[in-house]
Amino acid sequence: MKTSDIRPRRRIDRRTVLKGAVGVAALGTGISGFPAYLKAAGKPIRVGMPTIMSGRVAILGESSVAAAQLQINRVNKAGGIDGRPLELVVRDSRGKPDEAARMTRDLVNNEGCDVILDAEASSASFAVNEVVRDIKKFCIHSNSETSSLTADPKNQVPWVFRSARQGIHDAVGGGLYAARVAKEKGLKRWATVSPDYAYGRANTEEFMEYVKIFAPEVEIIEQTWPKIFQPDYTENVTALLNAQPQAVYSCLWGGDLVAFTDQASLYGLFDQFEAFAVNLGDYPVITAIKSLPAGVHSGSRYHKDIPDTPENEAWYAEFMANSKVLPTNWSWENATAMDFIIAALKATGGDTDAEKMGKATAGMTIDSPFGAGGKLTMRDSDHTLVNYMVGYSKTISKDPYVVDFKQTDWADIYKHEEEWKKRNGYI
Amino acid sequence: MTLLREFRRDIAIAVVAFLVLLAIGFGIDSPWPRDFLTSIFAFGLLAMSLNLLIGYTGLVSFGHAAFFAFGGYVFGLLLQWEGFTSALGGASVPLAFVAALIGTALYSLVIGAICVRLTEIYFAFLTLAFQMFLYSVILSWVSLTGGDQGLMGGIPRPPFLGIDLGDAHHRYAACALVFVVCVLIMRIVTESPFGYTLRMIRDNAQRAAFLGVNVTRVKLICFVVAGSIAGVGGVILALFTSGAYPEWAFWAQSGEAIFMIMLGGLNVFVGPLVGAVALRILNDVVQMYTSHTEIVIGLVILFVVLGLRRGLLDFARDWWVDRQQARLAAANREGEER
Repeated sequence: MKTSDIRPRRRIDRRTVLKGAVGVAALGTGISGFPAYLKAAGKPIRVGMPTIMSGRVAILGESSVAAAQLQINRVNKAGGIDGRPLELVVRDSRGKPDEAARMTRDLVNNEGCDVILDAEASSASFAVNEVVRDIKKFCIHSNSETSSLTADPKNQVPWVFRSARQGIHDAVGGGLYAARVAKEKGLKRWATVSPDYAYGRANTEEFMEYVKIFAPEVEIIEQTWPKIFQPDYTENVTALLNAQPQAVYSCLWGGDLVAFTDQASLYGLFDQFEAFAVNLGDYPVITAIKSLPAGVHSGSRYHKDIPDTPENEAWYAEFMANSKVLPTNWSWENATAMDFIIAALKATGGDTDAEKMGKATAGMTIDSPFGAGGKLTMRDSDHTLVNYMVGYSKTISKDPYVVDFKQTDWADIYKHEEEWKKRNGYI
Repeated sequence: MTLLREFRRDIAIAVVAFLVLLAIGFGIDSPWPRDFLTSIFAFGLLAMSLNLLIGYTGLVSFGHAAFFAFGGYVFGLLLQWEGFTSALGGASVPLAFVAALIGTALYSLVIGAICVRLTEIYFAFLTLAFQMFLYSVILSWVSLTGGDQGLMGGIPRPPFLGIDLGDAHHRYAACALVFVVCVLIMRIVTESPFGYTLRMIRDNAQRAAFLGVNVTRVKLICFVVAGSIAGVGGVILALFTSGAYPEWAFWAQSGEAIFMIMLGGLNVFVGPLVGAVALRILNDVVQMYTSHTEIVIGLVILFVVLGLRRGLLDFARDWWVDRQQARLAAANREGEER
């Protein structure tokens, strides 16, 4: 192979070398100088928050940031952590896992964040989990409800926690409630309409599994899976109309649930069966639906009357006074994450060492407006939140939109959760 | 040996580049340059390998990210398989790397054998279709791939030959080495007679065929080389994120690689790499000020496409050539006047 005559080689002379050296020096300064100007002064304790601030889910991200900021303002007003204020640095990952992983590294490397509040939806939260394991930063997942994130030992990290609802808790609570309604009203033929991705399928499977455990006569006659962010639900509505079920379960959420409810109402779907929608109770959803059907069974999300305490009422009022968006399920979960971060920092005296903060947080119980009996606990065994409000209400068409809250007893949840963990080989 | 002699300048540049990368990674006491450059290694390989197809062969592939994802998933899945790591111990990381490389090569051979017979829009759409097929498989085969949650639980990296890829410095150095070697391979491919055959096919496939070139075979070889190198990019990203995600196989990832090529320029060898760096810096800087990143990035791309009408390096090269010619012309005029 002789190619030398194809490409004439230039002799490298002194000038070329000099030019090259200048180029390399410029590149070197560019690369090394870049992070310096990105870096902020080191005094405050910075909390990095990757979340979703764009697209159809943006409202959930905004309500998360508003809640986290609210708790930070409170602690800063009271003098911070030993005089050091807290600072929130938010990044938009657009819900993409690799972007969330990159943002998290970026928050730590460039923004000097010491703690990560991971306000990502399920798939991205798994990516963040691996990053914080790798770079060893204290982290609380505040929005991912996927049970395996903390239940599966292979995902567990000593300095990582979850302050969100957990799918399995809601499934037990929902299953118990739905089975009771099914027995009272003789609902045997069930159908489901849930989003076609991991959360939708896992959540629906868990819910129906528990309905069947508590009411074995129940059978599933139709399951329809709309795509996420689908604009038109005619095919799903038609499938439900054809199947003629007595009850329907759905874990659609956000804008998808609004669109589905509005379209299904046109067909009078909600007059034909009992409907159970775990995510209906969120303020932005329930207020966006044009004609909210009455009597739909709605899972507990966030509501100013659940729990019906002066503390919760006060938190709601303070949130509304400081936020452009309505509070959501993600709001209380992020407020809780921030409360645990603050409590852990107080316990370590402002030391952000991941292991020390992890030790302080494991098994910790805090006072909270969102807890059953005013308390929330970060369970030691699997680093997940317990004792929050689990249960179902019924919708009415005007404010307060949901009434008649039936709370699930945590003793029941613990019992069935343990069996579920054994079944899945987690313990 | 001839290869060594012919490409001694490129090899020397590669060695110097590797040393510079090491100096940056180890010399600067901040993880930022390491993290930034590691993601550039991954996306740079994706964009540069795609440019083998687009810039050198004239095959506009819209499904190139499939190989990127394939490499990442094969590597991650093998190392997550306990039987594999416990049986092979320290050898499991290099073997998983080789398996990912060979696996991606075979996968691109199968896809390429079907696609390279087509040209233009038909080729683009068929590659896109295969990419979306892989994406659907990843999403629906939940028990193997974790579905839309990706590979969960981290990728174990048992140390080998004193190299521990769990350590940030070791990982960076290993990724830098793999990156430089891949770029060197692409350089050799594009500057060899084979590379000039690719250009000939791009400019006029019929003429190449009449000159006795087996056009389909050459295109297929190029497709496999490009796919395999994209797979290596996926391995680097899987190492970096300690997981693999279905988004890597989504069409938008291929679109981003095409953006990088457009931004950096497709007629200069390192154009796509410059595009990858520019896009990443742009993304990071814009992210600090607004969440409307896509609008800003869209505007910049519009400016590059409508304003410069070519990538940054293409623009710079044309400007340089124009200047040289103007200088020559001026010298000629002066000579005539005398």
